[in-house]
Amino acid sequence: MTDSLHREEFLAGFVAEAHEHLAAARRAALAADEAIARGQPVPRPTRELFRALHTIKGLSGMIGVEPIVDLAHEMETVLRTADRAGGRLRREALDTLLQGLEAIEDRVGHVARRAPVPAAPRALLDALAQLEAPAQGGSAPALDVPPDLATKLGPAEREQLASGVAEGRRALRLDFTPSAERAARGLDISAVRTRVEAIAEIVKVVPRSMPREEGAPAGLVFTLVVLTSATSQELAEVVEAPLGAVQEIQVVAAAEPARPAEDPAPQRAGPHAFVRVEVARLDEALEHVSALLVSRARLARALDALAAAGVDVRSLRLGLQDHGRELRQLRTAVMRARLVRVAEVLERAPLLVRGLAQSGRKQVRLAMEVGEAEVDKAVGERLFPALVHLLRNAVDHAIEPPDERRAAGKPEEGTIRITAAHRGEGELELAISDDGRGIDLAAVARKASAPVPSTARELLDLISRPGLSTMSAPSRTSGRGIGMDVVRRIVESELGGTLDLSTSPRQGTTFTLRVPVSLTIVDGLTFACAGETYVVPTATVDELVDVDPERLIAGPAPRREGVSVRMLRWRGEAVPFFDLRDVLGLAPPGSPRKGIVLKRDGAAVGFGVDRMLGRQEVVIRSLHDPLVERAGIAGATDLGDGKPTLVLDLVALARTLPSTAQEGA
Amino acid sequence: MREVLVVDDSKVMRDMITACLRPEPRLGFTHASSGLEAIEKLSLKPYDLVVLDLNMPDIGGIEVLEFVRSQDRLRKVPIMVVTTRGDEGSRERAISAGADRFLTKPFAPEVILAEARALLGATSAGVA
Repeated sequence: MTDSLHREEFLAGFVAEAHEHLAAARRAALAADEAIARGQPVPRPTRELFRALHTIKGLSGMIGVEPIVDLAHEMETVLRTADRAGGRLRREALDTLLQGLEAIEDRVGHVARRAPVPAAPRALLDALAQLEAPAQGGSAPALDVPPDLATKLGPAEREQLASGVAEGRRALRLDFTPSAERAARGLDISAVRTRVEAIAEIVKVVPRSMPREEGAPAGLVFTLVVLTSATSQELAEVVEAPLGAVQEIQVVAAAEPARPAEDPAPQRAGPHAFVRVEVARLDEALEHVSALLVSRARLARALDALAAAGVDVRSLRLGLQDHGRELRQLRTAVMRARLVRVAEVLERAPLLVRGLAQSGRKQVRLAMEVGEAEVDKAVGERLFPALVHLLRNAVDHAIEPPDERRAAGKPEEGTIRITAAHRGEGELELAISDDGRGIDLAAVARKASAPVPSTARELLDLISRPGLSTMSAPSRTSGRGIGMDVVRRIVESELGGTLDLSTSPRQGTTFTLRVPVSLTIVDGLTFACAGETYVVPTATVDELVDVDPERLIAGPAPRREGVSVRMLRWRGEAVPFFDLRDVLGLAPPGSPRKGIVLKRDGAAVGFGVDRMLGRQEVVIRSLHDPLVERAGIAGATDLGDGKPTLVLDLVALARTLPSTAQEGA
Repeated sequence: MREVLVVDDSKVMRDMITACLRPEPRLGFTHASSGLEAIEKLSLKPYDLVVLDLNMPDIGGIEVLEFVRSQDRLRKVPIMVVTTRGDEGSRERAISAGADRFLTKPFAPEVILAEARALLGATSAGVA
């Protein structure tokens, strides 16, 4: 665009709109990703991606950002081909398109900062150009649709209709008749679309001319072709039309749409055997189970008290044991519901390795032997970046180029193997091994200016030094990854697992990760008390208050157990206040400056601590069986310093204390 | 006052096109963000010029052209198609569907202004 139209004036709008379209494109890509995993065509996401890119391309052209135009143009061509094939998009194509989105987003960022925009990556443009060949998988299904619509529906739309009907929705057509009167009160085609989209999926809107005398004041009727589970009545109301304006479309697939033969795996249950559950709902269930465990601990204590008083509690004790076992099983069942297959966690690994191998000019085969091993979703999500780094390392550094392998008497194609298996109680072992050159101990030592390591542990310590790389120049692919130090932090500190390696010259290297299958993540407040750091789950805390020790009201004399109670003025009431150092038996009560107020069975109680340190998400590792744990300690965590930190359950702790100052007397 | 309908799903693009045409006096602008909206607006009220994008969320510009040209009332409204480069094949389709002018983005402001003037002049010639 020339300077006579002030480019600057439109830049902010461009950036904002580009981000909107990129977000829409990512949503479409995500939808496509899920459908491709199920072996389904992706007509709608393909069109949405295409549209978003086309708009980005047009805008970028006007603003004069040629690199984005180039990228969007190649991506569009891939999508146009897929669209013509009824929305059949290959996973590798989607992967490359995602890289394209990333590259565009990066360049929009440059525009936003008014920085010069880097050219489109040549390799990416080439990769996109290679994808433009039509996808395998057959043509769109032949459908028996009404003749007046038949010419208006493209292959992707037919595919969309066919799969919608196959999923059990109805295909309907409904007419909306625009008029000046309707438009004046906001009922125009855009409003109708929005309303219809709330209860149906719009496949196509066809404008049709209609003689004015037949009740179409604008000489126009819009026929909406939709898929829906809503009733005809509901749809008719949305467009303010008589029920007759809504008609069923008979969609008859002339032939079963072709599905890739390799998927789904025959031994797995059909789609109806699954429900999708938000992780948050499972967490909610888990919280209730945890609450049950706490109340059970109270029951057990009450039982002990009865027994101590000479009551015969044998039958009660048996009942409580059964109850405990059931609770444990319930807890396990809920935890199991959060598990995902390791194969699913590693779903993108083959593509990743292939991409890395291509750009590094290596020949690499990825063998996955992960069986049916499972891991908690949260663990899997945390683990994945570490695995990606190990795979990058293996491709970039370990596997030799084909000629070097041939010279060493190895097959030109290197092999990276990922195995997964459950070991012992709640532990998953993952091994990533390669048949590459092995780690050059002398080179690592030289690089780190350290003696040559003599054990695997020493080697691991050396290569985990931040910033250490054995490559003289950062490789294109490993260059932007994370380092071994981060891998180690994820595995050891965040997940409480272990990392080991074994390597031998010319034979290859194996990294072995052992991580817990499940863990609990909470938002926690960290604080200091008597020189120690503790964490308390944020959700259990009502308020953090400043404490003026002078204004604490002295409570009654300490009970026999020795915990002293004072009273804290909080929201107009006197609240029992305990010094945490005293409660934990660390030191005699002092002059705490900060108070943590929480509710114990509906009544407020305060704990005095030295100072608050911060707030962060922590992974709680159970110290032992939750049924026998000490009340008040929820588990341990690592705050990133490699040292275990106790996570306190102050509510449970409070229950062990006198409930009012008077009671304490 | 002559009315111009600017059809593009991008607001920035509509604003830019409007900015390009501003130098022409006595022009009023209406924006439509989709092909369906364009068809609806054209059916409800006469316009002196339509600037039409080809790629839009619901129905494309070609379908808009085909529909508009099939309507007696709208057969003569001047339509300038403005589309993103790379759609070279669409020039022919747009012209045969009834577009009066075909412009490729990015375009120079003076070019679109000149094209618009030519189209507007063609309709108002008889009146002037």
